[in-house]
Amino acid sequence: MKTFEEKWTAWLDGQLTGNELIEFEASLPDKSAAKLEKRDAKKLGALLKRELGAHVIANEEFFSHQLRERIARENVEPFREQAAEVSTWWTIRRLFWTGTASLALFLVFAVFVMREKNPAEQSQYLSQILNARVDPVVSPNATVSMFEAKGDRVTVLWTEGLQSLPADYAAK
Amino acid sequence: MVRSLPFVTAFIALIVSTAPGLRAAETVWSGLVIAENVAQPESIPPELTRIERLLKELFGYNQFQVIGQSSKTLKTGQEDWLATSKFFGLRVDARGESEAGYVLNLKLYKEKELLLETDAKLSKRSPLVIKGPQVGSGQLLLVLVVQ
Repeated sequence: MKTFEEKWTAWLDGQLTGNELIEFEASLPDKSAAKLEKRDAKKLGALLKRELGAHVIANEEFFSHQLRERIARENVEPFREQAAEVSTWWTIRRLFWTGTASLALFLVFAVFVMREKNPAEQSQYLSQILNARVDPVVSPNATVSMFEAKGDRVTVLWTEGLQSLPADYAAK
Repeated sequence: MVRSLPFVTAFIALIVSTAPGLRAAETVWSGLVIAENVAQPESIPPELTRIERLLKELFGYNQFQVIGQSSKTLKTGQEDWLATSKFFGLRVDARGESEAGYVLNLKLYKEKELLLETDAKLSKRSPLVIKGPQVGSGQLLLVLVVQ
């Protein structure tokens, strides 16, 4: 069952025939106004066809090429966008450069710190003799001195002139 | 996860490098050593192996015998101990611990007679050698090592 609008459109296009046409025209309240409208619609249709008709493509191959390029571009672009989303700040290259820069910075600081701390460091890691005393009554001519064998990291307190003792004193 | 890995590594390194207080208790070996030149030298005691070359070069002897020794595990750095032989005694009085080592007061006795007294800072990486009196044809040495 067609609606009035459908029948109206079909009537304007001249597609109603037979009983359907007779019935529809009979149902129109103002047949002359309707026919006038139909004529205007046909005129408008003819005008639109004339003015807005498709232009003839002069060079088919050119347009075909343009279309293929555009399709190819549109296929590539999503992959690029996807790749851009996946990549993070820590790409291999950035990681490498960050590591190199950090190492360089560390070396610079290490050199400065080592240069400043070097004299103190030697005494820190080698044992130190703070003072030494011998009994002047027992060993009146005794002297003491101290030195560091830095190659072996050994600190030595060297005494001279201590009272000599017999070999028996070497007993365990 | 990958992004945070360098920061986690750096943090762990920082913690490890700034935690010197987590050291285990250390042992100080103190020895009374007689250095001599003999025809058939005995092998050097294991405590002195590390400084064997230096001892031989410095004192010119080929045999080093331990006549008295003591190993003391330091927990507070305030301990004291005694290494004795038949006639000698080495009294060690620890007077505190620092980052570099231990502050020690050392007294060498011949029987009850004080021969030598010294204050020293014993580093954990650096042995201390003290040349004592001549004994017969040899030499008494005092050696302290943080093991």
